[in-house]
Amino acid sequence: MTSVRSDARFAPTGPAPAPRPDRRRRVGRRRPWRRALRRDWQLYSLAVLPLLFFLVFRYLPMLGNVIAFRRFRPGGSVFGEYWTGLRYFRLFFTDPTFWDVFTNTLVLGALTLLFCFPLPIVLALLLNEVRSRVLRRFVQSVSYLPHFLSIVIVAAMVMQLLSVDGTVNQVVGAFGGQPVPFIQEPGWFRSIYVSSEVWQTVGWGTILYLAALTTIDGDLYEAARIDGANRWRQTWHVMLPGIRPTMMTLLILNIGTFMAVGFEKILLLYNPLTYPTADVISTYLYRVGIVSGNLSYAAAIGLFEAVIGLTLVLSANGISRRAVGTSLW
Amino acid sequence: MVTPRPTRGYRVFQAVNAVVLTAVVVVTVYPFLTIVARSLSDNAAIVSGQVNLVPRGFNLTAYRVVTSDPAFWISYRNTVVYTVVATLISVVLTTCYAFVLSKKHLRGRTALVGIAVFTMFFTGGLIPNYVLVTSLGLKNTVWAVALPNAINVFNLLVMKAFFESLPVELEEAAAVDGLGTYGTLLRIVLPLSKAMVATMVLFYAVSFWNSWFAAFLYMDRQDLLPVTVYLRNLIVGASDATQTGGGLGSGDDIVQAAATIQSVTIVLTVLPILAVYPFIQRYFVSGIMLGAVKG
Amino acid sequence: MVQLSRRQVLLATGAAAVVSLTGCGDDGPDKKDLDRNRAGAMEKYGVGDQFRATEPVTFSILYNNHPNYPLKPEWLFWSELAKRTNVKLDPVAVPLSDYEQKRSVLVSSGDAPLIIPKTYHPQENSYVSSGAILPVSDYLDLMPHFAEKLEKWNLKPEMDTLRQEDGKFYLLPGLHEKPWQEYTLAVRTDILEQLGIPSPTTWDEVYTMLKAMKAAHPDVHPFSDRFGKPNPAGNLLNMLALSHGLPGAGWNYQATAWDAGAGKYVFTGASEQYRQVVTFLHKLVAEGLLDPETFTQTDDQARQKLASGKSFVISTNAQTLVNDYRPDIAKINPNARLKKIMFPIGPAGPVNPASRLENGVMISSKARENKNFVAMMQFIDWLWYSDAGQEFAKWGVEGTTYTKDASGRRAPAPDVDIVGLNPKGTKHLQKDFGFANGVFAYGGKLDLVQSFFSPEEMEFQREMNGRKPAPWVTPPPAPLTDEEREQTTLWATALKDYVTQNTLRFALGQRPLSEWDAYVTELKGKNAQAYTDLVNKAYERYRKNHG
Repeated sequence: MTSVRSDARFAPTGPAPAPRPDRRRRVGRRRPWRRALRRDWQLYSLAVLPLLFFLVFRYLPMLGNVIAFRRFRPGGSVFGEYWTGLRYFRLFFTDPTFWDVFTNTLVLGALTLLFCFPLPIVLALLLNEVRSRVLRRFVQSVSYLPHFLSIVIVAAMVMQLLSVDGTVNQVVGAFGGQPVPFIQEPGWFRSIYVSSEVWQTVGWGTILYLAALTTIDGDLYEAARIDGANRWRQTWHVMLPGIRPTMMTLLILNIGTFMAVGFEKILLLYNPLTYPTADVISTYLYRVGIVSGNLSYAAAIGLFEAVIGLTLVLSANGISRRAVGTSLW
Repeated sequence: MVTPRPTRGYRVFQAVNAVVLTAVVVVTVYPFLTIVARSLSDNAAIVSGQVNLVPRGFNLTAYRVVTSDPAFWISYRNTVVYTVVATLISVVLTTCYAFVLSKKHLRGRTALVGIAVFTMFFTGGLIPNYVLVTSLGLKNTVWAVALPNAINVFNLLVMKAFFESLPVELEEAAAVDGLGTYGTLLRIVLPLSKAMVATMVLFYAVSFWNSWFAAFLYMDRQDLLPVTVYLRNLIVGASDATQTGGGLGSGDDIVQAAATIQSVTIVLTVLPILAVYPFIQRYFVSGIMLGAVKG
Repeated sequence: MVQLSRRQVLLATGAAAVVSLTGCGDDGPDKKDLDRNRAGAMEKYGVGDQFRATEPVTFSILYNNHPNYPLKPEWLFWSELAKRTNVKLDPVAVPLSDYEQKRSVLVSSGDAPLIIPKTYHPQENSYVSSGAILPVSDYLDLMPHFAEKLEKWNLKPEMDTLRQEDGKFYLLPGLHEKPWQEYTLAVRTDILEQLGIPSPTTWDEVYTMLKAMKAAHPDVHPFSDRFGKPNPAGNLLNMLALSHGLPGAGWNYQATAWDAGAGKYVFTGASEQYRQVVTFLHKLVAEGLLDPETFTQTDDQARQKLASGKSFVISTNAQTLVNDYRPDIAKINPNARLKKIMFPIGPAGPVNPASRLENGVMISSKARENKNFVAMMQFIDWLWYSDAGQEFAKWGVEGTTYTKDASGRRAPAPDVDIVGLNPKGTKHLQKDFGFANGVFAYGGKLDLVQSFFSPEEMEFQREMNGRKPAPWVTPPPAPLTDEEREQTTLWATALKDYVTQNTLRFALGQRPLSEWDAYVTELKGKNAQAYTDLVNKAYERYRKNHG
């Protein structure tokens, strides 16, 4: 696997020279287009419609990103009025507030990844151990519920729980502590955000792993049992490897998108007192944007974020390919 | 599957597991029950903080307000139509592309994956998207909701990883039987992927069911809007004090205010998903592969 | 389920700002002849005339669809409008919840309807420089009723605040004969009676009242406030600042404020008045009179505290008092009584701080090329600005939806209800007939505006109208150029965040007030001075160019 360097560029589509088998590479990679098409035309035909979708609905509108380098005026040309070069990039690179919110974004993103990625796996494995099917289904269904709650409601509940006379402070009071104004303390924001995120996403996150668990060959369990493996060792040696492709795919994707922390929830939970820890790129842009309608500035920051995301996903993918042999491509 | 004699350690584990899962159930179900209780309560009781698990001042006013409006049912029907059409298109396209991407021998596969992954990070702006959909003439049609979001790359890659984890021998057997690519996909791979297809249906259906932005953007007529837009308008409108009077001054007679209506909203949008879910869930049964490989 | 994704919001923030020198600074009306745009227009149309198109015409209109009275094509409003004016409106129905966003997308992508109502100044600013909307000030000669009301009610200074860098305005605002102050404090009058103190009229008396309440109920914070979106304690800060003669603090925070005494703009968050406001707030918090959670809690939490007797004072307008607070509290404590007190007087004296301009109508530039352009302007003039049009939009058809007695007092028809004026009515003026619609009916003569008020609100407004209008509500125009606006908006967010954050820290005692001067210096380090200088430069420039 690791020997396959992904250098698959599109070969010239013109008349291809006769195939020269290259022993050092995998044969499939070197197959010229004409033969690849003849052999796999059915596969390629399945890709036509999806490719058309990406071209029309994803790549075409991307041209609009040119406004990161041009001045956009609402109501004027969709592609901006005149060239501004790197002006909008310079503007945010030299803005100290931008780097504060950038750091906050990284910290919150990393914390979310640290907790929200592994917990669904644990829960899925625990669920898998439940013997009674009725019970398992019940727990599963219930654990999905938070996924359907509007963030507005979740935020309102969090505020209620953490208010000075709320449930949490009543517990604190019962142990003789002084009430803490959690919502006003910058030091508490990250814990509050991450735990509410865990609560909302863990149940729904198990679905993919449960689906992946269904593909594990029953023979493997049996073989493990015959080898004298107990449940724990079965989990370790059969189940985890079985869901590893799904797990790694999700991990890579989560790493790639970990800058996209929950905009709306932060917007509802933060306040000026907690800005030092709570303000992230998206919320900052939202405030700059609402005041200025500066889509060019927003587009420039958007491109910057995209480059970071792409870099992250490529590195994560590279590491994963070398370490465990799973790769997005 | 033959159940082995549980060891003592495993029994302890089962007990701990039961406790953990019970805790999960309590923590997640409690807020939801509160919401059901609130949807059946008197608004004043809610804002004074009296409603927990039992409705106070039981009444169905909010349900009546919402469901007595013909526009509500029209938008509900729109939601069903949009969800069914969009989910169908999405699942078909995603399955096709994921299947193609899962073929490791395929020439140009890296580029095909790259084309998809790139769009996770680089997207067009709102306004270019709007201009595109408008100039394609999709505005005010179901296609404006279904087509622009047909493939979710996240789902695509998850499905691709799933296909890759299927045993290679299966398809080799299919090739020996003389099945082409289409035949292999339809007769061999899909039947083995019921759980994953069900998951995709669930993921796409839930996201289309809950989505409001595309419809809000591309539909100009009230009778084309889905129920999410309708309810969103109800919530925000009812909770925005500066808007309620429409500049009319004192005492506008709004029947029931934000708190109850919010809860009714949640109940009415989640209910159909919960009702459909058990039918999907029966595909999540482990051990499907057992017979398949042996047979 | 109904949430905005981050990206949607980011991409959709085509919200405000950006002006440039599009025109050549030409003030005069549009000299191009309108001969090709007169189809359907009335030959002679003046004040008091009923507009009626000479041929049936249709105009597209952006329609803000209110959840309380969702759009119905069979409304009497549409048919009667067509009967009277020969105009059919073709609405693009947009949910109220996200009206601004859709408007922004439609205008930005060149797909907007001709008539774009429900626009609040300065939302139109962002579209000026691209030329997407019409400089309506060039066409006032087509709008006799609008021009007459400007003249008769002496609204020129207010209108000047809407002018852009080219001296023109791009929004037709709603016009009020008298200012209308909506917000003030609601107080538990039964507690006042228990304590034997009168209803407070000044902020100092509010303070003594809260002191007395605290003395009698040591375990409560007598004042716990709401309306904290988008800025914390927005309404409270706003009211306090207005009483100190400082507009544009709190929920409609503006970076600079007009200082009439000095004849220049000053930085709002560093002004002396703002310091006094913050000091007052700090005093209230420090003495346990104002709930510290006022600055961070949700509206529902504040309502809950009031209802359950954990607080006695809260911000209100006429609607929330009747619709929210009273029903909330009646369930728990039938003896509790709540009243809207007069707007408390501060150092600025007894003034009415409300503006006489309302949200209004933008017109797409595409309309100018329409053959019915003149008819459209006449139609807008009639429906939104003539007495007859305003009465029609608000009350409907006399004899069908309302009646008028000899003294001119209007009342709903026997089977029609509106704002609880006729609870026995089975049909609703808004829901079933489409009148009193926020899109079409606002502003106007005092007697029309007040025709929906309850006696309680009438009394409040009578007293408020007895106070003289505040001059600083209409600051002189200081429109920025395209480049200036871009620069200031990028400074503005960091500055505003810093002001808000420190306002809260000062008020809550997290930062001692002795550090005020240090705080002002820190603001300067964040370009507060440069910002203020730019605005003052724009003010001087506008005065020189447009006098």
